[in-house]
Order: sequence, then structure tokens, then C-alpha cells
Amino acid sequence: MVDPSAWLDLLALPALQRALLAGLLTGALGGVLGSFAILRQLAFFSDALGHAALLGLTGGILLGVDPTLVLLPFAVLFAVGVHHLTRGSRLPTDALLNILYSSSLALAVLVLSRIRSYRGGIEQLLFGDILGVSWLDLGLILVLALAVLSYLLLTCRSQILLSLDEGLALSRGIAAERHRLTLLVVLAVVVAISIKAMGVLLISAFLVIPACSSRLVSRHFSHYVLLASLLGAGTAVMGLLVSGAFDLPSGPAVVVTQLLAFLVAVALAAMNRRLPAG
Amino acid sequence: MADRVLEVSDLSVRRQGATVVDRVSFRLEAETDTALVGPNGAGKSTLVQAILGIVPVSGGEVRLLGQRLGPAGQLPAAIREQVAYLPQTLTPPGRLPLRVDEFVALGWHRIGPALPWRERRACRGAVGLALEKTCCTALAGRLLSELSIGERKRVLLAFCVVRPRRLLLLDEAQAGLDVRAAEQFHALLFSLRRSEGWTILQVSHDLEMVRRTCDAVLCLNRSLRCSGHPDHALNPAQLERLYGTAWVPYHHNHGLPQPQAAAPPTERLI
Repeated sequence: MVDPSAWLDLLALPALQRALLAGLLTGALGGVLGSFAILRQLAFFSDALGHAALLGLTGGILLGVDPTLVLLPFAVLFAVGVHHLTRGSRLPTDALLNILYSSSLALAVLVLSRIRSYRGGIEQLLFGDILGVSWLDLGLILVLALAVLSYLLLTCRSQILLSLDEGLALSRGIAAERHRLTLLVVLAVVVAISIKAMGVLLISAFLVIPACSSRLVSRHFSHYVLLASLLGAGTAVMGLLVSGAFDLPSGPAVVVTQLLAFLVAVALAAMNRRLPAG
Repeated sequence: MADRVLEVSDLSVRRQGATVVDRVSFRLEAETDTALVGPNGAGKSTLVQAILGIVPVSGGEVRLLGQRLGPAGQLPAAIREQVAYLPQTLTPPGRLPLRVDEFVALGWHRIGPALPWRERRACRGAVGLALEKTCCTALAGRLLSELSIGERKRVLLAFCVVRPRRLLLLDEAQAGLDVRAAEQFHALLFSLRRSEGWTILQVSHDLEMVRRTCDAVLCLNRSLRCSGHPDHALNPAQLERLYGTAWVPYHHNHGLPQPQAAAPPTERLI
């Protein structure tokens, strides 16, 4: 057991406070955005983007600038590229994404292996370092969260119709192509901004797991989005506290917490299904 | 704004280099019910989708309620909301957390950026009424993804009726329905059409139903082969031209001679 005064000492650390705030914000943001992304079947896209982002980070290291500066344009380019490639190609989308992300990943690792000073730092890139979040990063996440939230609120109805049936959406005059591209770019920006804290390997869990848990138990669209963001924020904070207290890596600790919440949702959904029948 | 609800002139659609719809022209007068028939792959669904601006048009022009459809399928919102479309199937992704009443509300709202809670009360009233008109009130709290195909079709009608419309385009409304469910769906459609004053264009394979309920028929096989009153357009000679000589009318045509060349004995088909 950890004694309470140790917890308080931990919470007094500014780095941990920033980490908790960052976790709260990215968790909630990931939950909201993820609940739309999984309905539009973009879970794999966010995963691929996270992996490919390592190339962007490597570019930043090569140029000697803040990785976020390179990562943002890289992620947006990746999203625009994926949008056009998948529209123009006859290959299945998941196969194309696989080609794009594994080649980006391979290139990045090759380059990183040549930069001596970064050999040790690769783990940090892969799994993130939420304690390294600065006030500037935090401000960026806050602005981004507000922007994404207002975008999703304003286009909510179009997003629902698009995930339901594209023909029906088009017949109502919704510009499906433009919406898809915008959503891809928004996802890319969110992934780029939060990757520093979460790492390239686990970033997509923030988008996918809370949203899926919520999808299993919600019976109302607004409840679904709300619950996904609460789950995202809650599991992030809990995971971070556990990782701080037991000195565990933060990203994986959060993801395991999300997994536990997901398992609870699976059990609840199974119970709900049995009730009306029995 | 004219009684001409829909005017299609010289409309062509090309898909992957092939002409799928070839110089089709017709028009629909207000409050008529017209069936679009033809063999599989004749371009019926494509024609309907082109009229709505879902698939791009390669030639000709479409006028909905007197307003020309733009080259990229644009239509003013005030016209767009008077036109409704029923897709062939609506298959929501598994366990989409969307309730029936939430879905019908999507049909009430105009498309465009708006906060989700705007005009909530007016919308709720309209949704309640639409569910009542389509006998869906009991389904209001169910998830769309939990419904049977027949229930889903009725909910789609509620989606159409939630706002006053002038033109309804149905793509094989009876696909996936058993005989009884198809009968009920058509009875509902027929009564709503009267009470709401809808003009209908429906893709159909059920020629018997077309004969009974529709005012006019368009026979399509890439180009328009014939059109007119069902009794004229669906006579055996015209059907043979449309579907080919091997086609056997499997519904009884009292008093009409069966095509001689049609080989397979009908017993084997049953």
C-alpha cells in the first residue's frame, strides 16, 4: 500500500499536476472525437497515423527543432494523402494504410538508428512521456480541445447521418467528401498534439477504447458521446495516479485502466442483453 | 412553381467509362405515383441517385420543383428539404447508439452547422407526430440497429413524413420484406401519399403491385424503353422488349396471351 502523505507529495509536484491536467483534457478529447471516429470506421486510421507520426518526430530531431512543429504539418499531410489515395485506389483502405504506416515507421527507425544521441530516447517516443508536458503543450491541448468540440457540436447531425448511410446523407445535401477530409485532418491534429504525452504506439487507444466501451452500454446518442468523454478523462487520471504511485510507465498504465473499464462495459452489455429475454 | 415536380431531360450517367443511364427524359406531375421498372443492372438505382445528386451526371439536366440541380449535385436547402429519399437498405453499423426518435429528428432539421439543442421542442412535436402517422410510436425508444427490416422501412417513412415533402424517391422499397410486410408497407405508403400530397417515383420489381397502385410506369434498360399507363407499358410485348424473350411473367395476366417462346414450364419455377 502507498501511504496517503506520499500521494499528497506526488500531487504537489507541478510536473504531475500538468500531467494530470493533460491526461484529463486529452482523455476527454479522445473520448469525444473517438466516438465519432469509430462510427466512421476510422479506428485503424488513427492507429496508422500514430505509427507514421514517428517519421514526423524523427524529422523534427533531424532538423533540431521542437518535434511538434514538424509533426503537425506532417500529420495533416498524411491525412490529406490518405484521403486522396483511398479515394483513387482500388486497393482496400486497410491495406493501403498498412503500406503507408509501416514504410513510415521503417524509415523513421532507420534514420533514428543513425542518430547516435537518440538511440536511448526511442522508448520515450514510443510510449510517451506525460511528465514532460510543458505549460505550452497544455495550452495547445486546451485550445485544440475547444476547437474540436465546437466543430463536432456544430456538425453533429451530419456526422451521424454520414456514419449511418452515405447515400441518405448525400440525398440530404451533406458534402460527404469534405466532411471526411475534415474529420481526417482533425484526427491528425489531435494525434499530433497528444502524441508527446501518449506515445506513438498507444495513442489510438485514447480514441478507440473509451468510445467502444461507451458504445456498448449507451442507448442514446448524446449519452454515448458524453460517457465516452467521461470515461476517457476518468481512466486517464486514474491511470496516471497509479503510474505515479507505483512508478509505472504512464501511457501503458492508462491503457490498462481503459481496458478494465471496457471489460466492465462488456459485462454490463451482456447482462442487459440477458435481462429482457429472461 | 409549377405542377411539374420533377423534370429530367436527356440525362446520361457514366460510371467507370460505361454509360449506365443513356439520354433519359421524363417528367412527373404533382401527386402522381410512378414506378421505375427494368431488369437488374438497367440503371434504375443510378437514375434515382443521379436525380438526387448522389452520383455525378455526365449530360442532360434535372429540375426538381423547377430548380435546376447543379453539376456537383447542389440544390438550395429550401428545395432539398422538400425532397426525400428512401434507400434500398439501411444497415446501421452494429450497435450504433442512435434511437429511433433521434434518427427521425435528423430528417426534421435542415442540414448545415447548428447546435444540436436548437429548436428542440418544435422538433420533438414533429417527431412525435411523424411516428404516430407511421405507426412507429412504440419504437421511439428502441435503437435503430435493433429493428427488423420491416420496422426500419417504416421508420424511414417517418423520417420522410416528419417534414412536409413534395417528392419522394424510393429505391426498391420492398427489398427484403416478406409478402405480408411488403403489403403493409405499401398500404402505409399509399395512405401517406394521399394525406401528404406526395409525388412518388419508386424503383420496383413487383409488377403486380405496380399495376394495382401506380399511375404511370417508366421502363428502363439503360435508356427509356417505354412509358405510360401500367396497362399499356406492362403488356407482354413491351415486357418482352424490356426484359428479353426468356422472361416469363410469373403473375397471372388474365386475358393476355403468354409469350409462346417462353420455354421453362411455370411449375418448375414455383
